[in-house]
Amino acid sequence: MKVAVYSGNIPSTTFIENLIKGLENNGIDILLFGKSKGNVNYGKNVKVYATPVSQLPLVLFIIRNSLILLMKDAGKFFKAYMSVRKKNKSTGAFVKNLGMILPILIHKHDIFHIQWAKTVSQNPELFELLDSKIILSLRGAHINYSPLTDKKLSDAYRKYFPEIDGYHAVSEAIKKETVKYGASEDKIKVIYSSVNKDLLKLNSEKDPRVKTFEIISIGRFHWKKGYHYALDTMKILKDKKVDFRYTIIAQGKVPEEILFLINEYDLHDEVNIIPGMKFDDLIKRLIRSDMLILPSVEEGIANVVLESMAAGVPVVTTDCGGMNEAVEDKVNGYIVRIREPELMADKILDYISRDDESGYKIVKNAKATIENKFSPERQIKEFADLYNTILSK
Amino acid sequence: MKIGLVLPEAPQYSETFFKYKIRNLIEAGFEVTVFSNKPGDNSDEIKCKIKNAYPVYEESKFKQLFFVPVILFRTFLLNYKKSKILYELERSDGNSFSESMKSVYINSHILSEKIDRLHFGFMTMTLKRENVAKAIDAEMSVSFRGYDINVYPLKNPGCYDKAWKKIDKVHTISDYLRDKAVKSGLPENVPFEKITPAIDLRQFSLKSEPGKINKKLNLLTVGRLNWIKDYETAISVVGKLKNKGIEVTYNIAGSGSELERLTFCAYQLGLEKDVIFHGKKSHSEINVMMENADIYLQTSMQEGFCGSVLEAQAKGLLCVVSDADGLKENVIDEKTGWISERRNPSAFADKIEMIINMPEEKRKEIALNARKRIEADFNLEDQRDRFIKFFKS
Repeated sequence: MKVAVYSGNIPSTTFIENLIKGLENNGIDILLFGKSKGNVNYGKNVKVYATPVSQLPLVLFIIRNSLILLMKDAGKFFKAYMSVRKKNKSTGAFVKNLGMILPILIHKHDIFHIQWAKTVSQNPELFELLDSKIILSLRGAHINYSPLTDKKLSDAYRKYFPEIDGYHAVSEAIKKETVKYGASEDKIKVIYSSVNKDLLKLNSEKDPRVKTFEIISIGRFHWKKGYHYALDTMKILKDKKVDFRYTIIAQGKVPEEILFLINEYDLHDEVNIIPGMKFDDLIKRLIRSDMLILPSVEEGIANVVLESMAAGVPVVTTDCGGMNEAVEDKVNGYIVRIREPELMADKILDYISRDDESGYKIVKNAKATIENKFSPERQIKEFADLYNTILSK
Repeated sequence: MKIGLVLPEAPQYSETFFKYKIRNLIEAGFEVTVFSNKPGDNSDEIKCKIKNAYPVYEESKFKQLFFVPVILFRTFLLNYKKSKILYELERSDGNSFSESMKSVYINSHILSEKIDRLHFGFMTMTLKRENVAKAIDAEMSVSFRGYDINVYPLKNPGCYDKAWKKIDKVHTISDYLRDKAVKSGLPENVPFEKITPAIDLRQFSLKSEPGKINKKLNLLTVGRLNWIKDYETAISVVGKLKNKGIEVTYNIAGSGSELERLTFCAYQLGLEKDVIFHGKKSHSEINVMMENADIYLQTSMQEGFCGSVLEAQAKGLLCVVSDADGLKENVIDEKTGWISERRNPSAFADKIEMIINMPEEKRKEIALNARKRIEADFNLEDQRDRFIKFFKS
């Protein structure tokens, strides 16, 4: 079985890279297409057909691949050429797009697995040109809110979703949302993401001499992460005279709104913002904290929460996206309604007031959840099952 | 008397505020020159002299290397004395040779003019222009607005330290903005004048049946879709009202970068049919929307003063506003409207419910109070006279 994993970039995001490695180890042949964004190192089952980014190599790449496709299937070449030409107004965009499409059409694969739903609207010609089965992954924003204000995108979803052979959804919640765009429910398989098993071996390394309650959030600055609500929660904790510190580890420029609220609530001493860091350092920092909070208003299922649960750091998460498929309130963590900072403060206080034993129970349950529901073996097996089912149809 | 107005750009067709202000000053016998940062000449339209700053050629180092010395040389040749003073002032502030020369360059369009009072339309306009008024032997005055004082310094701490000590006179749109400036370094003894925004009372005439509330509540907000307006709270208020069994339509007139975030918020709270985003509307369209609305809602995290709330009060609309500092000066609680806690949707919803349940006579009284107060304290004629006084003294 040959599966093309298409995310647009090589290498891709951490979870897609993990998926590629997992599938490879399971004996599935993988083909990668996309822009070359850096060096990669895979085993022999993975073939990389990266499209160069800089101009001259790109032009040479296109000439070479055009000739190959012309020899193989001239009709397909002209079809591809015409549709890419028609779609792109500027020459630059046309060249880039053609460089992207050609290798996908030349190299044979049984399954073309699209990682981001927006590809459906960006490269609709794939539906006409590909002979392989098409699978689409359903993740976060691309389904949950982008199509709400982008009519072109929602129209494309409605037009092409019925043509897709199978779907992978990261949560039951996103499955439900996708059905609204005409995807048939029985084609969608929920496969939860997986957590690195090494994390399960970790435990809290909070210095017992530090009495300040250390709260942490990890994730880029974006409105959907709900950090403004988290700051409302911190104001409530401060008003209640809780001895705490809140650390946000986030890439990117700190938004005006966040600076404003820290200043307005006078949280300069309590809130600490750290720019993004490497995964290993992040985990070290995480296990020195007492609690991780996820104040988001939108997520697929946030990996950072799963990782925190695995590493033995209790979580409070909002009930957005598929979070309630991982977290059960007061059993393996806490879950609160979205956009309710006061309720989040209550949960934090509930945990603080627990004795060691009942706090530890939550941590233990969280580890068990990750082990049972979010293991890499289970994830890869389910992907292989999905591919086999689609191919046998 | 000659006044120089330093603005980001010459007032365009739609910017009635500055155009009106300039016209009044000219009619009162002042000679007005506008110093604009952006190229363009609409001096015929605004009936005064416009001088544009020389471009900085950020996009081309070559142009920078060629043009900057030529213009600098010319500036020193034609305005030697003033340029030298500016250069020396910059040096005595501790700036390097090249920084000081840069200052002469970016102020060269001002150095060539004879001006008695150099007025900066925004505090941010004084940056890198702190010494130019003294160099041309003019008084330096500044207008304070919300963003200038509330937000910009959060991203650029200490940015006005140099300017505070050089300002001769301040125009502020609210008391708290001036207080805030004093806290961050403006000397207490610098004279200031509070001149709030004003309303064209003919354009915003009293609505029919003030105080009346329709069976299906019509809520309205006018303003850019910007984080500081905190529309998420406003939309949550609609959700809370619906939960109380109150039928409501929430109309939002304004465009901006937060549309996706807010559309998602309404969708997520199941309010996609109850919250309507109308985009940017003209003055006359807003007038009609206010005529049809029952309650005007302003949930802002902060405001300089907020012209839209003045317009709504002039219409005799029932106004419910947050306790943002500028709004507390704009609305008198329980006299001309109601003030509710910032970022607290439940408190807003309770207040609105209370207003709905209030006798119509009482509501009418408040609506008429608001109108009366605007007529007395926020009319264009008074504002004009105060500005003339501000520039004369």
